[in-house]
Amino acid sequence: MMGALRTVVQISRVELLRFLRERSNVFFVFVLPLALVVFIGLQFGGGMGTQLGAVAADDDAAASELVDRLDTAEGIEVVPIDDEDELRSLVSRGNLSGGVLIPDGYEDALRSGATFEIGFLGRPDATAQSLRTVVDAVVADQAAITGAASLAADATDQSVADLIDLAAQVREGMPGVTVSTEAVGGDELAQEFSALGQFDLGASSQLFLFVFLTSLASSAALIQTRQFGVATRMLSTPTRLPVILAGLAGGRFVVALFQALYIIVVTALGFGVDWGDPLATSVLVLLFCLVSTGAAMVLGSVFRNDSQASGAGVGLGLVLAVLGGSMIPLELFPAGMLVVARFTPHAWANTAMAEIVRRDGGIADVVMELTVLAGFAVVLLGVATFLLRRALTR
Amino acid sequence: MSDLLTCVGLERSFGDLKAVQGVSFSVAVGETYGLLGPNGAGKTTCISMIAGLLDPDAGEVTVAGQAMGPRASAAKNDVGLVPQELAIYPDLSARENLDFFARLYGLDTARRKRRVDEVLEVIGLTDRAGDRAGTYSGGMKRRLNIGIGMLHEPKLLILDEPTVGVDPQSRNAILESVETLATDGMGVLYTTHYMEEAERLCDRIGIIDQGTLVAEGTRRELVGMIGEQDVVRLKTVGDVQAAEAACAVVEGVSSTDVEEDTVVCLVDEAAPRLPALLAAVGATDADVSGVEVREPDIEDVFLHLTGKALRD
Repeated sequence: MMGALRTVVQISRVELLRFLRERSNVFFVFVLPLALVVFIGLQFGGGMGTQLGAVAADDDAAASELVDRLDTAEGIEVVPIDDEDELRSLVSRGNLSGGVLIPDGYEDALRSGATFEIGFLGRPDATAQSLRTVVDAVVADQAAITGAASLAADATDQSVADLIDLAAQVREGMPGVTVSTEAVGGDELAQEFSALGQFDLGASSQLFLFVFLTSLASSAALIQTRQFGVATRMLSTPTRLPVILAGLAGGRFVVALFQALYIIVVTALGFGVDWGDPLATSVLVLLFCLVSTGAAMVLGSVFRNDSQASGAGVGLGLVLAVLGGSMIPLELFPAGMLVVARFTPHAWANTAMAEIVRRDGGIADVVMELTVLAGFAVVLLGVATFLLRRALTR
Repeated sequence: MSDLLTCVGLERSFGDLKAVQGVSFSVAVGETYGLLGPNGAGKTTCISMIAGLLDPDAGEVTVAGQAMGPRASAAKNDVGLVPQELAIYPDLSARENLDFFARLYGLDTARRKRRVDEVLEVIGLTDRAGDRAGTYSGGMKRRLNIGIGMLHEPKLLILDEPTVGVDPQSRNAILESVETLATDGMGVLYTTHYMEEAERLCDRIGIIDQGTLVAEGTRRELVGMIGEQDVVRLKTVGDVQAAEAACAVVEGVSSTDVEEDTVVCLVDEAAPRLPALLAAVGATDADVSGVEVREPDIEDVFLHLTGKALRD
């Protein structure tokens, strides 16, 4: 038994070694996944939906103070913009979630108690409405201090400017009333995503895409093992057929696991990606690696040459990734597409990972998804074993 | 000598194709047995059954007294297979390839390391042991292919056309290696469609055609099968097929064949038949440009037995 296990490990080790020695795999395994994680993170990550552009005069103390107050508001990052046209352009293209226009003379207006209008630019969505609420509250808070100072000035014959600091100190000592804002309905997703780290979304979506894709790519190595006659030669040794089959399957599995561990470890250490509950994530990844192994074995048994398998593998990997929510989050899928998605292992894996990472789920929260993935693995590995056994012995 | 390998009534079909039909032969300890036949004669199918890769439809294979088959692990330990195709990983080095298969043969660590070094020495790849096999010449790959087969010191080494596609220098090196193995007491089963290899290496030769063993014996015994006949080779200019047809009906000619522009005739006695052969060719659209008379060899035996040349 131990001898058979050692042989399985040996065959798997050689398959991994051969896979890693293929130069083209270095790019797809090591470079491309991280490049996409970084790209997605830079494009969409890091407070997606919470960046607020601000156009304000540098020499206006009140305007600067308002910008500072907005910047310290929870969940909002203020981006200084030079002029109104640029601000409109960035907001309309979705690069910013909203923008405030603070015209010149804001400080003078505050001190004089004159009416003053601050512009707000937003896209027609709930995120912009939420931002508008925050901006209103911050502006009102600032105006309240100035209003109090103005009122005190009327009663004491002191100047408004002298009393603003005093009013601010009094304001700080008073109990505050805060209104919490929560977007509901269509923008739950934006709120959920906004809680993610900059690279979290990209890393989790690319994990399953690349594990599956890399595993399918490794089917070419399996075909080569058959083509070279090495698999047949293995059969001429005292090593039993089930051990050889297990070793060849093990080779695909360690390739898939290697890819998964690489993405998880490097993104966790290098980009601070949160992978959620370790046990739940581990079980999920292991099951998905088994599914990928089964798919790779089927491909490696059905096709006769490695270029056929590589082409089909990339195509299949990308199509399943698209259908399974590894490129566009499943939450954005229309109902009909969601039904289709449920036929892909990616969809179940992505759903489970969303529960684990975004909603702090544990293994008990993803039991159904894990069970379905286990079913995928059993079926694919069973079919693959049958096909490969037939391919090697006929 | 006791029999190391015994094949009795081997049969194997693939669909409607009867690849092997009732093949029986044996190989003694320390003997080199040649299985000679053209491409598609059934040699590789026989090898597959003897190496335990295929179950025969009928008949049985015994190696060192143990029944051979796909699940016969013990019998497989006594057999080393050198397949016709290069069954090596080109992206692994020679040492890694040998080490990998040594593990599959179940060699323990100490024996594995010793045998890998010894085999590298025997096949002359010690200096290139760390280089990837894909960078080797064709001859070096062939030698590595052979080395893997003898890693575990089998009692019987099966070489399936090991010189196909090899340059003359490497081919000679391979033949010398096989001669050495035989003198070391290993039984060798050697398949080829090169008559000169079979004549050089083999103690006994089995001639196989269309899945059937048509004759076997030592070279002397096989040549003796066609009696005191001579081979007449008529080099022709013109319609060589017509010349062959004309020769075939000359009295005393037992078989004919065409090799490029030459008609090869097996005749009972060359001297009295030569004028009739020349006259027969002269009556066709061909002219004779050269004549050669020699004693028969294994190739002529094959021609005599099957009516066709080994290369057909």
